[in-house]
Amino acid sequence: MNGMANQAREHREVSELIPWYVNARIGDADRQRVDAHLRDCAECRGELQLQRQLLGAMTADPGIEYMPTASLKRLQARLDGLDPASGAAPAAVPDAARQDAADRPAQRSIRWRRSMAASIALVAAASGILTAGLWTRYQAHSRPLDYFTVTAPTAHAPQEVIRAVFAPATTLIELQSILDEAHLRIVSGPTEAGVYSLAANSSLSVSASLSLLRAHGAVRFAEATGPAAAAAPDPPQ
Amino acid sequence: MNPLKEQDSTLLAAVAAGDRRALEQLYLGYHRRLARFLSRFTSRYENVEEIINDTFMVVWQHAKDFRHASQVSTWIIGIAYRTALKSLRQQKNGSFAPGAEALAEASTDPTRETETQDWVMQGLRQLPLEQRFTLELAYHLGHSLEEIAAITDSPVGTVKARMFHAREKLRRSLPQLGGGGGP
Repeated sequence: MNGMANQAREHREVSELIPWYVNARIGDADRQRVDAHLRDCAECRGELQLQRQLLGAMTADPGIEYMPTASLKRLQARLDGLDPASGAAPAAVPDAARQDAADRPAQRSIRWRRSMAASIALVAAASGILTAGLWTRYQAHSRPLDYFTVTAPTAHAPQEVIRAVFAPATTLIELQSILDEAHLRIVSGPTEAGVYSLAANSSLSVSASLSLLRAHGAVRFAEATGPAAAAAPDPPQ
Repeated sequence: MNPLKEQDSTLLAAVAAGDRRALEQLYLGYHRRLARFLSRFTSRYENVEEIINDTFMVVWQHAKDFRHASQVSTWIIGIAYRTALKSLRQQKNGSFAPGAEALAEASTDPTRETETQDWVMQGLRQLPLEQRFTLELAYHLGHSLEEIAAITDSPVGTVKARMFHAREKLRRSLPQLGGGGGP
């Protein structure tokens, strides 16, 4: 009777360990224990196979890459808005405050959503200012921006004809598709503002490429650069 | 200590001293992992970004509270876990529910591998959040039992129980997975 109870307990305890046997994050002693039990237990061998299938399905490459630059920029803006006393020199707080802090984002959620459109517009506007106004500063090598940049601002990239900003959720595959359609390729970027420098990939006119770019919802901002742009600017859309 | 863990500790110490560049480096180091993980719970990138950025606001404000008894990665993912739980509960009737788009994809994809992934994703969506997080932390992020206990701030026994119930529910909702045909 005792033997059966022990067997049942061993079966239950080993079954509980199977997920970490499958993801290879189990200690040596527990692994050997699972190995020994699997030799005699068909039910656990079946469970092992099932869990391996599950792990395979849950670790498959989603084929999506997110670009962190624009998201980081929004975090930087939030940090800039912090009270200097609590932001620049974070004070020690009780442990429980961590849970409170995790509560705060939920309260901010609605406010965040309301301001999402405004944020996107702000990013586009900021990018616009950078591309339309600060370009001259980049070119003139005037004073650097007074915040950390992931990629240092540079002068015009060779062959650059357009600068553009894409929505933060744009995947690399989508980005490539948009550029292919507009006959463009990336020559540099993104800058800290998420601005890409684009060059022509065919004899298609810059204004035609620009129109194709602007037709995409994922393109937050696009503007021609260089002498051609100054001579014949495209009307904003 | 392996080089990555050492780098994380160095960066977090700098964050605790008010170094914004260190926070940004930490952010860039964790963004891909967290974005992929969180996008399994919500299809909207703005939600993913919100959770990640809220997480790093907490990291910035509470870096000094970090106790070196745990790993930096466990601490950061623990903050992301709590932030995500709150956020996902708020939008329970939003993108977290299986969308028509996902169901349509599930029914039309020609490859068996992708079909299985879609069925699994639908099964996962039926689980209570804590159970689903336990499974995702183990299988998607590859965490050990003890690490998941630390991340979720739960006893090891609770983690085992959540995992057990998640497996049971999935087994019932995914008979095609348990029906053999595997290697």
